[in-house]
Amino acid sequence: MKFTNTRQAMAWLHTWLGLILGFVLMVCFFFGSLSVFDREIDRWAIPDTRFDPQPMPSFDNLLIDVFERTEADIDEYNLMMPIYHNPAAGEMTPRSELPADEYWAYTTHRDPVLRMGIGFRVPHPIKEDEHNHIHGNMTIDPRTGVNIPNGSLKIGSDWFYPLHYSLNLNWNNIGFYIVGIAAFFMLVALISGIWIHRKIFREFFTFRKEKSSRRATLDLHNMSGVVALPFHFFFALTGLIIFAAFYYLPVTNTMLKPLHNMHEAIEAKATGLPHERSGINAPLASVDQMVEEAKSRWAARDMAGDVGFLMVHHVGDANSYVSIYRAGSDRVSLVGEGIHFKASTGEVLREDPPHSTAEGIAEFLTGLHLQHFEHWFLRWLYVLGGLLGCVCIATGFIFFTEKRKQQHAKNNSQGSRIVDSFAVTTVTGIVIAAVGMLVANRLLSSDLTNKGEWEKWIFCIALFLTFLHATVRSAPVARGEKNPAWQEQCLLLIVLSVVAVIANWITTGDHLIKTIITEPYWAVAGVDLSLLALALVCWKAFLHLRRNSETLTTSVSNAEAAYGK
Amino acid sequence: MENETIWLIPAIILMAMAMGWLALAKPVHWKQVEAGKPISIRLQTMGIVTLILSAICCLRADHASMAILVWFMLIAATAFSVGMILSTKPSWLKCLTLTWLPLRIFSKH
Repeated sequence: MKFTNTRQAMAWLHTWLGLILGFVLMVCFFFGSLSVFDREIDRWAIPDTRFDPQPMPSFDNLLIDVFERTEADIDEYNLMMPIYHNPAAGEMTPRSELPADEYWAYTTHRDPVLRMGIGFRVPHPIKEDEHNHIHGNMTIDPRTGVNIPNGSLKIGSDWFYPLHYSLNLNWNNIGFYIVGIAAFFMLVALISGIWIHRKIFREFFTFRKEKSSRRATLDLHNMSGVVALPFHFFFALTGLIIFAAFYYLPVTNTMLKPLHNMHEAIEAKATGLPHERSGINAPLASVDQMVEEAKSRWAARDMAGDVGFLMVHHVGDANSYVSIYRAGSDRVSLVGEGIHFKASTGEVLREDPPHSTAEGIAEFLTGLHLQHFEHWFLRWLYVLGGLLGCVCIATGFIFFTEKRKQQHAKNNSQGSRIVDSFAVTTVTGIVIAAVGMLVANRLLSSDLTNKGEWEKWIFCIALFLTFLHATVRSAPVARGEKNPAWQEQCLLLIVLSVVAVIANWITTGDHLIKTIITEPYWAVAGVDLSLLALALVCWKAFLHLRRNSETLTTSVSNAEAAYGK
Repeated sequence: MENETIWLIPAIILMAMAMGWLALAKPVHWKQVEAGKPISIRLQTMGIVTLILSAICCLRADHASMAILVWFMLIAATAFSVGMILSTKPSWLKCLTLTWLPLRIFSKH
């Protein structure tokens, strides 16, 4: 392929990268936007958790009992135990008798529930020097210690949130790699987009909606891309940074594994935090007292705060220690100001020192993306930034087909038709799948076994059906006309959004008057209001599309009459 | 009202005004709102000054690391809003042209 100038080459790069990876990026941006309020969506989906966020509860009076009654996950045990266990060294330990090696508990300022986990030790492992852990995770009501049933899916934080960085394709982490590649090429698409746009400042505020639909689409594409350019750039970049060490450049777990293990041991010696168990049993001192000590030390540093993350390492051993990290509600950087205690005595072993400039930058960039901060206004601005990203990608798809469909129709090519079907699926289709999942959540009985699995299937089936619908209805695109699937899916979205709000009211009694006025509960009201706003936007889009198609039909009839057909 | 909110409200208003003035500094957008020609340099200066004032309000509302994020995201939100207003109800920006004042501050007739 020959290009007469750099701008032409950049335009080619921008068009094709945007088209191929835009479908993935649309999922990342849309579900990333929803993830800003993932905990609120969780509360909407699990009515038992509709109470106020709670601080970390007492370890001594509540958490320890929960840890002691929790067993390893049955599926993970069946899968991993034969891999870790050395039959020559002894009998395989039954699941219920696996000894705990580490405990953790995690909460944020938005969590009514508490997430907890245990890493169980394998008594006779094949590889002695590895962390042979089988896990047991649970979520509890921190006021009572009662478990939230495992069948209840946290739709926000366990489905929408991972969708935006892994597409929920976990086979060999393939989803992480696809998203990583898409994020990298998004940076390329942004730079090439700036290059070809040229009139960034002159047309910064330009959206000529009265012009042809192609011109208006391009204006909207440019404007949504440019006004939120720093957001788009930094979120793609920080998304890559967050996963770089684990997935994209995992040298410490592959080529440099021996060096990494050695570094871990040396670091443990330097910090005084034991790397291995000693093999000598020891009791656990009061963790609540350690929490009080940590809080008073943070207050002394003029950064009083609550506990966000707590971890007990080498449980029950003389080398056991407790790490307590501060919740990062009041700052962007994801710093825990960790304080570590000897588990058997409560003596302070170490306070994490202030970080270097490089570490500080990394923590700021990570925190910027993961947004643990308590700043509701900024959170909503993030949602807006994410949705502007969606608008930018969606208008890119529409511009692609609008520009080519007449030509493709003349050449009898199906190119525009295929692109349009995918565009419908990734624009209205993913929203239908998401809202359909919420409707299913309210309509399926909470007693249904594996309710969460049903909800996941409904999401996937709904997405597939929207693709099928978009493809079946796409024949007009091959004739240079519009796909009626856009209108029809907008209409379906209106119905689904309203049904979701009504179903929430009927099944829980939480209608909007109650959640806004009589017993304000903004987490649920926010989701309901967002659904109604979505219905309104879809209604406007539906009317606009219908008006356009009517205008088109009238002009075609006039043209046919003029040519005497 | 919390201290943070007290400063965020002027930050939003100032940013919206800044974006409005920067938009009106373009003759093509000025024409959508008023007759004559804009005195672009004055409008741009006002836009930049209010951008800075908005940044100061953001810094008063939050820690610097948070304020910079709020400021950048406010640019996106208000620029997009101004773009939408110009395409649907440009007359809403008439208040920013100040042509209703006896002095011609931003326009040449």
